[in-house]
Amino acid sequence: MKKTNKMNVKFACSFILAICTLYSFATLADTTYEDHLADEASGADWLSYSGGYKSHRFSPLSQINTANIEQLKVMWAYQMQPTGINGAGLQETTPVVADGIMYLTESPSSVTALDARSGNLLWHWTPDISNEVLNIGFPRINRGVALLDNNVYVATLDARIFALDARTGAVRWESQVADNSLGFSLTLAPLALDGKIIVGVSGAEAGVRAFLDAYDAVTGERLWRTFTVPAPGEPGSETWQGDDWETGGGSTWLTGSYDPELDLLYWTTGNPAPDWNGDLRPGDNLFTCAVIAFDPDTGEMRWHFQYTPHDTHDWDANQIPVLVDGEFEGQQRKLLALANRNAFYYLLDRETGEFLLGEEYSYQTWAEGIDETGRPIVIPNTEPSREGVLVWPSLQGATNWFSPSYNPQTEQFFVANRRMGAIYFKADAEYQPGQPFLGGGEQALDGVQATGAILALDVMSGEQQWEFELLTPPWSGVMATGGGLVFGSSNEGQFFALDAATGNPLWNFNTGAHIRTNPMGFSIDDNQRVVIIGGQTLFVFGLE
Amino acid sequence: MPFRFILRPFRKTIDALPSALFTALICFSLPVLAQEAEVGEQLFQTHCARCHGILGEGGEGPSLKRPRLNHAPDDNALYSVITEGIPGTGMPGSWMLSPEDGRQLVSYVRNLGQLPDEPMPGDPAAGEIVYNNSGNCASCHILNGVGEGIGPQLNGVGARRNSEYLRRSVTSPEVEQPKIVDRFRGTLNAFLTVRIVSEYGTYEGMRINEDVFTVQMRDLTGDIYSFEKADLISYEKAFGHSYMPGYSAALTETQIDDVISYLMTLRD
Repeated sequence: MKKTNKMNVKFACSFILAICTLYSFATLADTTYEDHLADEASGADWLSYSGGYKSHRFSPLSQINTANIEQLKVMWAYQMQPTGINGAGLQETTPVVADGIMYLTESPSSVTALDARSGNLLWHWTPDISNEVLNIGFPRINRGVALLDNNVYVATLDARIFALDARTGAVRWESQVADNSLGFSLTLAPLALDGKIIVGVSGAEAGVRAFLDAYDAVTGERLWRTFTVPAPGEPGSETWQGDDWETGGGSTWLTGSYDPELDLLYWTTGNPAPDWNGDLRPGDNLFTCAVIAFDPDTGEMRWHFQYTPHDTHDWDANQIPVLVDGEFEGQQRKLLALANRNAFYYLLDRETGEFLLGEEYSYQTWAEGIDETGRPIVIPNTEPSREGVLVWPSLQGATNWFSPSYNPQTEQFFVANRRMGAIYFKADAEYQPGQPFLGGGEQALDGVQATGAILALDVMSGEQQWEFELLTPPWSGVMATGGGLVFGSSNEGQFFALDAATGNPLWNFNTGAHIRTNPMGFSIDDNQRVVIIGGQTLFVFGLE
Repeated sequence: MPFRFILRPFRKTIDALPSALFTALICFSLPVLAQEAEVGEQLFQTHCARCHGILGEGGEGPSLKRPRLNHAPDDNALYSVITEGIPGTGMPGSWMLSPEDGRQLVSYVRNLGQLPDEPMPGDPAAGEIVYNNSGNCASCHILNGVGEGIGPQLNGVGARRNSEYLRRSVTSPEVEQPKIVDRFRGTLNAFLTVRIVSEYGTYEGMRINEDVFTVQMRDLTGDIYSFEKADLISYEKAFGHSYMPGYSAALTETQIDDVISYLMTLRD
């Protein structure tokens, strides 16, 4: 009897301890806005697509470093789950990690939660997406989730946004963002701010008029919508003629950045529509191929900067705007750095949008340079033609959606660089709802004439410090770390680490499949982890 | 040209028509054919060109200028690929196409990889004799399972290459080097001549594969080697070089015409 009582007490204590542990785990699983503000400091978690609001994609962890990188090994792997949706075989997601749980998306729009310690599945959620979903001009992919409080947010290929319970994957709410039958689609990782979720849309290749949206994080109610192509009478409408603006494009398909001190949201925009026939939309076509600073509470535009006015090569500006603080020409400034698809590296003042620097970082044949206002000095006869015109870079650009990385400790900007030309053609185009609206196309030069590289640039000058040559133009991003490393990947399937100071390769691992994602990092039980997805397999690396 | 889908409706009527009217219809059908080809081209530009290139020579998606498509051995399979996509890849289905547009696209894509009929410059039967004797082609090429695998296998070469290409390959092989199309890497040189020097010796042969850190090659005896690039003293790629000898001097013009004709008959 006495023994039984003792056992009961012991059991009760264990039970209470277990409940307490579960409770503390559950409490810790909440990702608050304050957690997001502090995300870039510790590197233990990775709470948003670019590893923090400044979009540095920098892991300050240094346990894995230049001295021990050779000992890096696979700790666990996860195989993606086929959905039965055709054409969804490419994975472009960046996982996020909060308090020991990894959340990632799987193409086209599923969400998976894994134990970040073991890789074991916690839950998996798949939306009811038809094989007949429209994705005009891009693959059936998804780039990741956003976390806020106890929810996981995912944007779907059929233009919806869902809030899922972070512990179970159960749906809290869903909102229809736009009409997929018109070509609207969502592939980006949403951005979670204080109480709101920001999403943008794809669809310029279908001639949509794109926008940026904010949703109430708790209810799913739309808080504001700002179109990136102005209607007649609105600022910027003078850069369009007739009703061209109605099908003007300007997609917002890549996650932006946020400066909490300035309370400004930075978001980039894509090509005007139709892509390659500029005759059908005379003018600069604002606010396409631009970066826009928004008031996150109202959606009001504070300033904009257009990288490629009247683009005719599909050089979307949908690259990551990297927020940098530092001394530029003797003055401490808040900057926005962006390596553009058009082969130029730009620095802007992110308070005002003032153009500060535009330097060629990759071979190009379309502009003599950037003038003092930030406008490209376009070389004549480089627009697409009926016969075809050879221009560098190709439509996929000198870089693309995959992320750059910034190491604030060394002020180095790293970017994966595509070196490829294309013959650009112009053709007729007639807008039909839900149909491709292209006006031409390209024939890329064959692979023998195309290469790639990882570049290290001085963030303040854009000057190249080193390059690490790749065999072919890459489709994956980079991540610098506090251990003096830069992680990158190749089309051939290698995940590798370079010495950030020299660009020398220090370690590589063959994932056995094409890599089309960004690296990310976190720590678990004080052990640093580095993550990449090769093909359909997610690999987590560590020392122990 | 998309004959398969265009002439079929006419054929049903033709039996009942007098020959004069038949001739008139054929004349009428020529501009129709051109128009249909144009429609196919427009459909291709709209639905396919962004990934496969506006000329169908590849880009993010593979080149379609091939007589055989891996996922589409026949027209029905190609129709399914176009309208339903391919599971496990980035190829989505263009389900919104009307059946007629789908068939137009099948015809256009199929035509991209088809060689136009052309007259043979010589005697294929005589060419087969040259192939097996004075040409000694089997010493480097496998055909129907016979020969050595140093150069490309020649089964079906007549469906892939026109007479002009074949002539250049026989007379100036260094000019016309075979290419391979990689799904993610684009078009690359196959049989690229490489010279590798390591601490263990010098190795010459043809590249089999390569990534950023390693290279694999096969020498002329068929031995396969794999190297870490970081360990190499030198690694040279000889673009414009071929191990295949030019046959302009070794064979007569007639023999070359005959061999080309024989190769043109190899369509399976």
